[in-house]
Amino acid sequence: MLNGIPLFWYLIVSAALFCIGLYGVMARKNTIAMLMGVELMLNAVNINLIAFWRYVTPKSTAGLAFAAFIFVVAAAEAAVGLGLIISVYRNTRSVDPEKIDSLKL
Amino acid sequence: MSVFEVINNILKIVGDAVAGLITSLLGAGALSEIVVMFIAAFVICGFCAVAFMAMTYAERKIVARIQDRIGPNQAGPYGVLQPLADGVKMFTKEDTTPATADRWVYNLAPLVIAVFALLTYAVIPFAPSVVGANLNIGVLYVIAVGSGSTIAIMMAGWGSNNKYSLLGAFRTVAQLVGYEVPMLLNVLPVVMLSGSMSLVDIVERQTLANGAHGIPFILMLPLSALIFLISGIAETGRSPFDLLEAESEIVAGFHVEYSGMKFALFFLGEYVNALAVSIMFAVLFLGGYAGPVLPPYIWLLLKAAAVFTVLMWLRGTLPRVRVDQLMSFNWKFLVPMSIVNVILVMVLAKVFVADPALAAANGGIAVSPGMQALILFVSNGVVLLSALGIVARHARQMRLVEAEDLEKRRAQNMLVAAKAVAQ
Amino acid sequence: MILTIQQILFIVIALVVLISAVLVVTTRNLFHAALFLVVSFFGVAGFYVLLDAGFFAAVQVMIYIGAISILFIFAVMLTRDVITSARGNSQWIAAAVVAAAIFIIAAILLGPAALIIRGREFGNVQWSDPNGPAATSATVIGDLGRGLVSFNQYAVPFLLGAVLLLVAMVGAIWVARERRSRDMAAERAAAAADDIGSDTDQPVQEELPLPDNSMATEKH
Repeated sequence: MLNGIPLFWYLIVSAALFCIGLYGVMARKNTIAMLMGVELMLNAVNINLIAFWRYVTPKSTAGLAFAAFIFVVAAAEAAVGLGLIISVYRNTRSVDPEKIDSLKL
Repeated sequence: MSVFEVINNILKIVGDAVAGLITSLLGAGALSEIVVMFIAAFVICGFCAVAFMAMTYAERKIVARIQDRIGPNQAGPYGVLQPLADGVKMFTKEDTTPATADRWVYNLAPLVIAVFALLTYAVIPFAPSVVGANLNIGVLYVIAVGSGSTIAIMMAGWGSNNKYSLLGAFRTVAQLVGYEVPMLLNVLPVVMLSGSMSLVDIVERQTLANGAHGIPFILMLPLSALIFLISGIAETGRSPFDLLEAESEIVAGFHVEYSGMKFALFFLGEYVNALAVSIMFAVLFLGGYAGPVLPPYIWLLLKAAAVFTVLMWLRGTLPRVRVDQLMSFNWKFLVPMSIVNVILVMVLAKVFVADPALAAANGGIAVSPGMQALILFVSNGVVLLSALGIVARHARQMRLVEAEDLEKRRAQNMLVAAKAVAQ
Repeated sequence: MILTIQQILFIVIALVVLISAVLVVTTRNLFHAALFLVVSFFGVAGFYVLLDAGFFAAVQVMIYIGAISILFIFAVMLTRDVITSARGNSQWIAAAVVAAAIFIIAAILLGPAALIIRGREFGNVQWSDPNGPAATSATVIGDLGRGLVSFNQYAVPFLLGAVLLLVAMVGAIWVARERRSRDMAAERAAAAADDIGSDTDQPVQEELPLPDNSMATEKH
């Protein structure tokens, strides 16, 4: 109960954000919008990790290191994913994931 | 308390009095703290507005004198009321909005830029123990806020629904994002040498108190200071890096569709950013509020004014840099030099420590602070001179290759012309 | 009931984060979606400040808002003729149901409902401990830094993360580079290299990557 905020408030917000991101990935018709959903999910996981770090093991740095690596991986994945989308767009003029379904262009 | 002490600590005395007044009115607790913070924020915004007026006036006069003309001298004696006249003009100009612009994005962009420009001032120490928030990650906060303003520029560029605006916004963002890297890399040696990211600690290391050595970091790390200054100028989009908003180039870039108060906010944001860069340079490299006789806030303002004078001098003197030259200068010259500089400072600061207790604990050669400063100065000079030497040799090779190429082409042309004449 | 300042702040930030996240996944205009994503990231940075992880708040602003959002906006700009996409694809109802189900399971059945049904929390963690957690150590950033470079702790993942970033940077630049002039130059070089035969008189056939016709007719 840090400053009057119990741990499960953070967990509920993080679960809601994760599910919104999941909906974004599953229900959008544009690959860039799907990647935005993935970023929301990564943020939700980070909130979860840091909340647990603060409330359960505030003296150790394992949770913080884990969250730092998720920042790194999210940045790398966003860069490569967007590069791929731009390359696919240049070849097929489409960013609709349902249309990019053949291995040979 | 003598008059001297009162003047020295006037900011702290007034601040404490206001805080006491608010606490007595509202009772001690979170609410009175929040009200005091709001009042402090208003005071900082007021200071920025007054400084903005002084800066625009000084810039126009000084750049005019460099360019052998007089500058504004009609509004008031020597033109001192010119900023007021500019303000009245900005307020009364018609506030247009393009018909096909995206309303919310177009209207919010200048506000976001002004907000991000003002957020930097929350962590700057104006005097000992007069600081908005003594964050222990002060330097990182300043750079994070600086990088957040790129979103506002994209909003301005896209919201105007104008292809020149969008193109200008792309190039501006490429420049801003690119020049953050040398800025961050060159703040690292300062943080390493002062052992903390808090701006108050960095200034304290440059004063002569509590066992600190009292040497401003510009004497120890001149190369880092130079690259930080260059990156700061590029971050604020001033000359010679102002390709993106120059009227003769891309029709004022991303803020071409703005007029009236919104343009005034862009203008304010640019100058407030320039002042923030000057104050950051003064805090990180020149010693902040440290100084012998005058009150500390006067020292800070004098140092920031000196840095801003250098900025104005560069604006009046240097021609514009082309955008591809700008990017290649950043990525091929500044970034490798900064990386080598960081590694060298890291190694030398660990080997030659200024604090004997630290040397005994971690191993290393204990030298006096002056000796450490000299060693770092020399290492910086070595990095800069070798980088310049490599670039000069490369440029000479390119010049020779081009001259050879030109000779070959000239010979070919003469052959062709001779053949044509003979036929 | 009287809420403390921090609780009010938490509720405000939570509303900002969740509402802007919903707007990200439902708005038609992709540029607005990117801007709402930025707002959401700011909210998450606010959460980090509330959780005494100020360093991560600054890192979040710098990385997510200063870099990843810019990447998204550039990608949206570069694929501009498809910028107004439809709100949802053919399976959006199923997606909404699945997302809602996962939320209910994760947040309610494993959370407060577990307290009611089982009489205790799920797992070993006390999720609403009235005593509050211990304070963090004063040198938490220094400890994290030392942990990331000491080989007893997290130096190997740190180095792997650095290699990952390098590979991602090089890979993204390579994958998204402009291809046309390179392909044309390669074709000319290949044609010039084997011009022993009779095809020196013919112009070089340039193979540009053509868009697939079936997709062109499907687009409206």
